[in-house]
Amino acid sequence: MPTYKAPLRDIQFVMKEMIGTSFIKDLEGHEDFSDDIFDAVVTEAARFCETVLFPINQGGDAEGCSIQDGVVKTPSGFKEAYHSFVESGWPSLSCDPAYGGQGLPDTVAAFTEEMVCSANLSFGLYPGLTRGAYNLLSAHGTQHQKETYLSHLTDATWGGTMCLTEPHCGTDLGLLRTKAIPEEDESYLISGTKIFISSGEHDLTENIIHFVIARTPEAPQGIKGISLFLVPKFMVNDDGSLGKRNGVVCASIEHKMGIKASSTCVMNFDNAKGYLVGELYHGVSNMFVMMNNERLGVGNQGLGLGEVAYQNALAYARDRLQGRSLKGAKYPEKSADPIIVHPDIRRMLLTMKAYNEGNRMFSGWVASHIDKSHKAKTKQERQDADDFVQLMTPIVKAFMTDCGFEIANHGIQIMGGHGYIKEYGMEQYVRDARISQIYEGTNGIQALDLLGRKVGANMGRSLRQFFHPVLAFIEKNQTNPALQEFLPSLAKAVTRMQQATSYAAMKGLSNPDEVGAASTDYLKMFALTIHAYLWAWAVNVAKDKINGPEKLFYEGKLQTARFFYHKLLPQTSGLFGAIMAGSKSVMDLDDAAFGPF
Amino acid sequence: MSEIKSIAVIGAGVMGAGIAAHFANAGVKVHLIDVPSKGLFNKNAIAIEAIEKILKTDPAPLMHKEYAKLIIPGNTDDLEKISECDWVIEAIVEKKDIKQDLYKKLAKVCGAHTIFSSNTSTIPLKDLMEGMDSSFQERFLITHFFNPPRYMRLLELVKGPKTKSEIYDRVCHFADRSLGKVTVDCHDSPGFIANRIGTFWIQYAFKMAIDHAITVEEADAVLGKPLGIPKTGVFALMDLVGLDLMPLIGKSMNHSLPETDLYRKTYFEPEFIHTLIAEGYTGRKGKGGFYRIQKEGDKKVKQSLDLQTGAYKISQKPRLACLDVSKEGPKRFLSYADKGGRYGLEVISKVLWYAASLLGEVADSIEAIDQAMKLGYNWKFGPFELMDRIGVDFLVGEWEKAGLCVPAIATMALKNQGFYKTENGVLMILTPSGSYVAQHRKEGQILLSDVKRRSKPLLKNASACVWDLGDGVLCFEFISKMNAIDGEIFKLLLETIELVKKEYKALVIHNEGSNFSVGANIGLALFAVNLGIWPQIEDLVATGQKTYKALKYAPFPVIGAPSGMALGGGCEVLLHCDAIQAHSELYMGLVEVGVGLVPAWGGCKEMLTRWLSASKRPGGAMVALSKVFEMIGTAKVAKSAREARDYLFLREHDSITMNKDWVLTDAKAKALDLAENYVVPEEIQISLPGAMARVAMTMAVKGFVKAGKATAYDEVVSTKLAEVLSGGDTDITDKQKEDDILALERAAFMSLIKRRETLDRIEHTLTTGKPLRN
Repeated sequence: MPTYKAPLRDIQFVMKEMIGTSFIKDLEGHEDFSDDIFDAVVTEAARFCETVLFPINQGGDAEGCSIQDGVVKTPSGFKEAYHSFVESGWPSLSCDPAYGGQGLPDTVAAFTEEMVCSANLSFGLYPGLTRGAYNLLSAHGTQHQKETYLSHLTDATWGGTMCLTEPHCGTDLGLLRTKAIPEEDESYLISGTKIFISSGEHDLTENIIHFVIARTPEAPQGIKGISLFLVPKFMVNDDGSLGKRNGVVCASIEHKMGIKASSTCVMNFDNAKGYLVGELYHGVSNMFVMMNNERLGVGNQGLGLGEVAYQNALAYARDRLQGRSLKGAKYPEKSADPIIVHPDIRRMLLTMKAYNEGNRMFSGWVASHIDKSHKAKTKQERQDADDFVQLMTPIVKAFMTDCGFEIANHGIQIMGGHGYIKEYGMEQYVRDARISQIYEGTNGIQALDLLGRKVGANMGRSLRQFFHPVLAFIEKNQTNPALQEFLPSLAKAVTRMQQATSYAAMKGLSNPDEVGAASTDYLKMFALTIHAYLWAWAVNVAKDKINGPEKLFYEGKLQTARFFYHKLLPQTSGLFGAIMAGSKSVMDLDDAAFGPF
Repeated sequence: MSEIKSIAVIGAGVMGAGIAAHFANAGVKVHLIDVPSKGLFNKNAIAIEAIEKILKTDPAPLMHKEYAKLIIPGNTDDLEKISECDWVIEAIVEKKDIKQDLYKKLAKVCGAHTIFSSNTSTIPLKDLMEGMDSSFQERFLITHFFNPPRYMRLLELVKGPKTKSEIYDRVCHFADRSLGKVTVDCHDSPGFIANRIGTFWIQYAFKMAIDHAITVEEADAVLGKPLGIPKTGVFALMDLVGLDLMPLIGKSMNHSLPETDLYRKTYFEPEFIHTLIAEGYTGRKGKGGFYRIQKEGDKKVKQSLDLQTGAYKISQKPRLACLDVSKEGPKRFLSYADKGGRYGLEVISKVLWYAASLLGEVADSIEAIDQAMKLGYNWKFGPFELMDRIGVDFLVGEWEKAGLCVPAIATMALKNQGFYKTENGVLMILTPSGSYVAQHRKEGQILLSDVKRRSKPLLKNASACVWDLGDGVLCFEFISKMNAIDGEIFKLLLETIELVKKEYKALVIHNEGSNFSVGANIGLALFAVNLGIWPQIEDLVATGQKTYKALKYAPFPVIGAPSGMALGGGCEVLLHCDAIQAHSELYMGLVEVGVGLVPAWGGCKEMLTRWLSASKRPGGAMVALSKVFEMIGTAKVAKSAREARDYLFLREHDSITMNKDWVLTDAKAKALDLAENYVVPEEIQISLPGAMARVAMTMAVKGFVKAGKATAYDEVVSTKLAEVLSGGDTDITDKQKEDDILALERAAFMSLIKRRETLDRIEHTLTTGKPLRN
């Protein structure tokens, strides 16, 4: 049976020792925030995840969801856990107090999100989607819509969904066919089929509010003719009570590779009553306003799964006795050495540790900028923070989920045959992790978004938010003895990032395929450079504490930084070479020559 | 051919005054005559007022205020004063009788050599000449200027059956060389060429917008950029011209055209236009027109007229799918089956049919018709060029579907290779007989486009090309986007210098873009700055300095031949040329402070040395310094080549060409002239006052900030500029070399480019086209 212990010490390190909580007190409406509040929240979240959510994870995977007559039943224990989750107020952590939220910063919520994903990803998706719906409605809803729905989405007694994908269109939403016919009373009748709808139907909440994109009769072709509608499962009466059932039903649920306890539905809308959210034809752009939070959330799924996979692989590696160290027995009293002594096992464990801790720093760093982008005091600070978030969002989403999958696979590798069978729980993490690389925009799309859109926007203004602080950091620490072994490699990686960025941006002007062919390599190279900077930062924080009472923890930071710089960062050399080799070899092969022959 | 030295314009209205001003721009003495004022002290009051108005009008009708002295006010009671004039232009009210009365008076007063012309836009020449003496008719023609006369290059000419060729040729030659106009030979038919087609286009677009339920925003978006037509389309164009004029022009055209004409067949007058005019909605000069700006609180909201209801509503950005495919060419755009595509096709296919069917009636050549639409309505392509681009076969198909008889010229274009083709590097034009003739060029005229059509570049990279103009002269052409200056241009300039050194005599820097160069590619620079690639940026600055300096001290003459805007880095390259042969329409200035920078490709250095060594300049070094500080510090732009002389952007030995099409010819002649016994200029050393001057300049800026005329960041930029211009850490006894000043420019530039405010300014300018005052 797998185990999970929330990484509270590392969360404290990132939040309190690196980023620092002081910026929160400078945010609008967070003047009363304190370290005590932070500690209390994450500690309680840790307890809840370890004792309530984690124990029903494996069972949920085995049992899955079931459907009968359009009614979806979640696995045993989910309903109780959900009620307990709602009662403890977890869904409303960073929601607006005006609608019953607790008004905590998103940065805090990001850390609790990681723990939920470690403990039970499928479970986390239910409130996760509701939170997305909350964000969408807060940003674009009318006052009346907010008053009707927002408080229920805040406490998650009602669920929310995002209905985008249709059988013939996923990434290219311009092709969608769902219709919205205007009615006399300013509502619309929505008809069409949506697929892959997470939490589209389930037994956890009293009502479900679907956010559906559809096309009105007069709408222009393509992406610019799509509008966003709110479609409740049960109509809401004027007094707030639930009325009759709306014309939206779940036709079937998908049988999937992973996240089996999450209900993934085919939803049929048949003249379902819906209400326009935001302006007509602004559906897709409005949807994208909340994508930063959503994609950071998915990135945290990668981190959460990476963390739980690491913990279990580590426990196994300490426990499993096989062979002797190459340099002679390390534990002669035992029948064999534990496999943690073997270099290749250590390579995998350190890769897992380095990526997880790097991603935790990354996630916290980006989350703190999300808070600043909404609530910093000056417009300039908000703008700068928003630029940073825009740039980092695709990297967070794609790199952290790629890491999650890679780490879970390392977990299986370390455990060998025991990783491959269900009993130890490791293979579930691989299956669960796989979807995070696909939904909310595939990782290929993320890479295209980064290099094709974010990098060039406003003549590269958002790049400034990464490169200038990093260059200043390098400049400032030229003589810092603790960083001497790291700075040259960091500077080299940054210089190559500058070169690759200039090259791809210039080439892309005349040939868009150059951008497309370089983007995935570029995103990974960028992410590794970010990690390099974060690890140098972490060493700078840890250096004075290595001889203190928490020697092992801080020593671990220094050694993991070294491992990252020696064994992981060098990947940037290969990626750089691949980027600079251009698109020709990718594009020249005739489509027919791909075979099969 | 005897010269034209003095002229008279009769009628001091907007057109008459504008025409008079433009003759003054050509350096010609011009009498501006109107009716005598009644009961007033000065009988010339109307003309005097008109001259005063000329001086206040923006954009300025005059290229330099001092040219106003060339305009002599007069009145029709004193016509004897103009008896010696070489040419009299009538621009009075469009009434045949009044015009003829005037002609009769003029015939008596003026000498036998005087040329007469009318600026009429509606009355046929044959009507005007009815009953006039042969000797008057021999010297009479129609010269139809477009408004505003300084800026619109089109001059439509109509010759009567009796007009002497010698007279007609003299006018053509003068219009070409001295006024800088492109003359187009028109037949004596209503509206001549441009307005005949233009008014049909507007009217039909208007009518079809109503029929197709197209909004004014949609119509302007469709009948604009995708077809190479200015973004004003039709409705914003009507606002610009004046709504009150539309029914007048329409009635006049409708009255004078035959019943079978498509204009008359589709003629209509929407009721609400009259209501609008009555309420003061006469277009931009009034309260608004098809568009208006309404204040809502402190916000300005753009509204547009709903053609179906006649009421205003908030303007919407057009969302038409056809606009998204417009990049794929006009045919794809027009055949796109949404309402925008259908509307565009309906209007343009009819307009092009109309234009093609008018060949022979309004002019003898398709080139004349294309020129008239390009220069009179600022279309990027004339109707026949547009037909070639869209595809004649496609259009013929549309006309046949609409039951229109296919014009003979189109049938011929279909059988051959279109209206225009290139043969052996020469542009060939289809004639009504079905054969092609080579495009006509004036004796000795060199145009870069011709050189490019018939030869291959000697050197070329992504941003520049080098062409052989013959006789040992090369031409360096910018081909980067907006002719922006970048590292590639420097690279090729350095290569070109080596090439000329080895095998040629002189170099001309010239291009035919609407602007010579609006400066450095700051988009590229901003990207590099955002990435923090400081060494690359500093290197670009140093390379520019090195390159421009190499131009200046090259062992052969370098002639700058600019037209339009030459700003920032585009100005600096000209400052390093041995001489400039400028188009009169030159807009030159060092505008770097607008984006929070200082000129750093030798602009500060050149202006300092010019002003310090100017022989006619009064006062000591400090006076010169303050002048340069003010010019650069306030981003002064000379608004004509003549004005550029005042700032010493142009020096005494630099020359001005009135016609854009002759700039290269004159520049090449100048280059060959200078190449005889060319001596490389000697490097100048200057003495600058250092700290004292710096303090004085900074104090002045602080004053401006206090008075609210400059922002806090202006002060930061000006302080850096003062550091450069005062010579840095120096005093008046020191001699400074050019490289010393260049080092100061570089240091000031590098410190400013790292500042957030500068980056905000650059980004704002790039995205909005306007300066940011932060």
